[in-house]
Amino acid sequence: MASTMSALDSAGRRGRAGGSRARRDAWVFLALALPNLALIAFFTYRPLLVNMYYSTLDWTLGAMDATVVGFGNYVEFFTSPDAPAVLGATGIFTVATVGGSMVLGLLVAVSLNQKVPGRTLARSAVFAPYVLSGVGVGMVWLFIFDPVYGALSWVLRSVGMASPQWINDPKLSLVMVIIVYVWKNLGYCAVVYLAGLQSLPQDVMEAAALDGAGPLRRFFLVSFPLLSPTTFFLLITSLLSSLQAFDIIKIMTPTGNGTGTLIFEAYLQAFGAYNRAGYSAAISVVLFVLLLIMTGLQLRFVERKVHYA
Amino acid sequence: MKRAFNRRNFLSVAGLGLGAAALAACGGPSTTGAGAGAAGAAITDWSKVKPAAKITFMSSHPGKSANVEAQLIKEFEAANPGITVDLVTGGANYEEVAQKFQTSQAGNNVPDVVVASDVWWFRYAIADTVVANDELLATVGDKTDGFNATLYGDYNYAQKHWAVPYARSTPLFYYNKDHFKAAGLPDRAPKTWEEFAQWAPKIQAANAKKAGYQHAYQYPALAGYAGWTLQNVLWGQGGGWSKEWTLTANSEASVQAIQWVQDTIVKDGWAGVSSNDAVSDMTAGAVSSTVSSTGDLVGTLKAAKAANMNIGVGFLPGGAVSASPVCPTGGAGLVIAAKTSPERQLASAKFVSFMTNAQSTAKFSAATGYMPVRTDADMTSVLATTPQIQVALDQLKVTRSQDYGRVFLPGADQEMADAAAKIMNEKADVKATLTALAEKLEGIYTKTVKPKLKS
Repeated sequence: MASTMSALDSAGRRGRAGGSRARRDAWVFLALALPNLALIAFFTYRPLLVNMYYSTLDWTLGAMDATVVGFGNYVEFFTSPDAPAVLGATGIFTVATVGGSMVLGLLVAVSLNQKVPGRTLARSAVFAPYVLSGVGVGMVWLFIFDPVYGALSWVLRSVGMASPQWINDPKLSLVMVIIVYVWKNLGYCAVVYLAGLQSLPQDVMEAAALDGAGPLRRFFLVSFPLLSPTTFFLLITSLLSSLQAFDIIKIMTPTGNGTGTLIFEAYLQAFGAYNRAGYSAAISVVLFVLLLIMTGLQLRFVERKVHYA
Repeated sequence: MKRAFNRRNFLSVAGLGLGAAALAACGGPSTTGAGAGAAGAAITDWSKVKPAAKITFMSSHPGKSANVEAQLIKEFEAANPGITVDLVTGGANYEEVAQKFQTSQAGNNVPDVVVASDVWWFRYAIADTVVANDELLATVGDKTDGFNATLYGDYNYAQKHWAVPYARSTPLFYYNKDHFKAAGLPDRAPKTWEEFAQWAPKIQAANAKKAGYQHAYQYPALAGYAGWTLQNVLWGQGGGWSKEWTLTANSEASVQAIQWVQDTIVKDGWAGVSSNDAVSDMTAGAVSSTVSSTGDLVGTLKAAKAANMNIGVGFLPGGAVSASPVCPTGGAGLVIAAKTSPERQLASAKFVSFMTNAQSTAKFSAATGYMPVRTDADMTSVLATTPQIQVALDQLKVTRSQDYGRVFLPGADQEMADAAAKIMNEKADVKATLTALAEKLEGIYTKTVKPKLKS
């Protein structure tokens, strides 16, 4: 009996001590997490929720009054003749820039992974555009593409060709911003791929070579599958970055002539000529949902194909 | 009783925090009709108001006017010792200033006086973000009858004036005198577009071998103000964007006018469309003529002189149906913000009156090429240094206020530029494109303007 009581006391003390420690841990956790949580809530989730609220209003930017229209802005967007153009431009821009940056970045990375003279300089040069300001890049390329006094038009004229109307023709202006965006961002993909290539297990590569696999087979059957975590990482980051691309498009085509992607259309509707803040908010929510879905799909399906070394 | 802080507790706390943040954030515009617009309608006894000691002037410095604006502010402060003016750059163009002014409405620190272009002041007026200036100007002793009647009348809405003319302009016909001479043409602007259509092939042929030469005429960049620069061609052919609130962009005359524009590019091949700045294209020697704002006049003449080029200016050409008036007014005025105190509004009225008085407008005009907005402005010294301004002054007498369809419909300029791009760059069917444009403009009017019109 005495031994039983003693055991219960001991368990009770341990329980009280454990409870006290858990409470202390909880307070420490809250003290550390809450400031960050509050900042994220205030500066990230609050605007997101407010934007969702605004998307239910017919509100002219700057006006003090607005009318609640429920899902009216969403209905208007999806039924307007502009929706296919906006979604189409978003799709083309995203696929072309993500695909272009990744494919060219991989090619550049493979080239820079060879032991050639001056490769350190070449690596720096390839990465340099990524750290440049998008505004500056846009302005310089705008000068290059100008069909009257642009550098490209001068080159074309010198070989007897007329310059395409890069800025005026909506189809070409989309091509123009894609070229510039890919040029600016392929350095990022190249550097990340280069890091991936340099971390590949050399024994596997050597084994493949001993088995008689040529450089192309080694690349496609060994290196590329082993690079899949890198490819997956780049796919997610590039996709999110492309869907949010703004600076180059704004500088090169300020009124969105053929380059009205979702994010730029949201800007134009609120801060451009229309001042339709509620409608713009609805387009932003569409973009947000699209980003959520794409990230979810990638995590759900693409990651299954990734081979982690 | 022990209660561990588990994942569920954490999510609950986080959710509560988020919810609180969301609720706190749901401020924004009023959905009950009790916004600041109603408050702004309060009647003020201006005789009992003392001007504020400091106000803010937000400008895009149209026509590279930052220096002359700063100089005029100094003169204003000297003449009004109790008031200082803080000059704020609101952006590089009217649109950027508008963006900043409108977003500033969300806070409590709006600029007091703002540069507002012909397409912006009306939006501010119907959104109640600016005040009518009639009473204010009368209080500060400004007899507004000194303003050019057309320019001041442009701002008349609901029997009140919502802005005063400031950096006002009209388009001018700019031409390269040497290119015209090479083609054996007289040293003047064409009287009509039909006359120019006869001249253009000769100009093109005479200058084609010059390095980088492209066209006899360059349409201004569409992303700029296509609706403004094409207004002249439309009126000349008897068309227009609208007749008051009735859209006429797809009328027979309008279709005919814009078809003529497309033909000059696609069929005749003597005209092109600028990608960026038509005046720069001309001073680069790539084109022989263009249409641009009087606000570009002084800068263009300087650039031409540096390039050893002779530039002439003339009236906008007329059309087959109407020779005059076919020149639209344009440019910007000054508005006074509603969301400030009466004291600041009164100081703003003094400032606005000073910036646009006869002496100031003459100085501003001399520095930029914009129109003097008062009829009693002494332009003698201005004309002595830049005699070409006389052309703009003469043309001002035969100007016409722009169609409602362009200046009063939010986004109309963008829609017009998009339609023009389809027609002029993508060779789209003119009638179908203009019909789609008219429908879109009608939608904008019905949805965003008509319900907000003041009686």
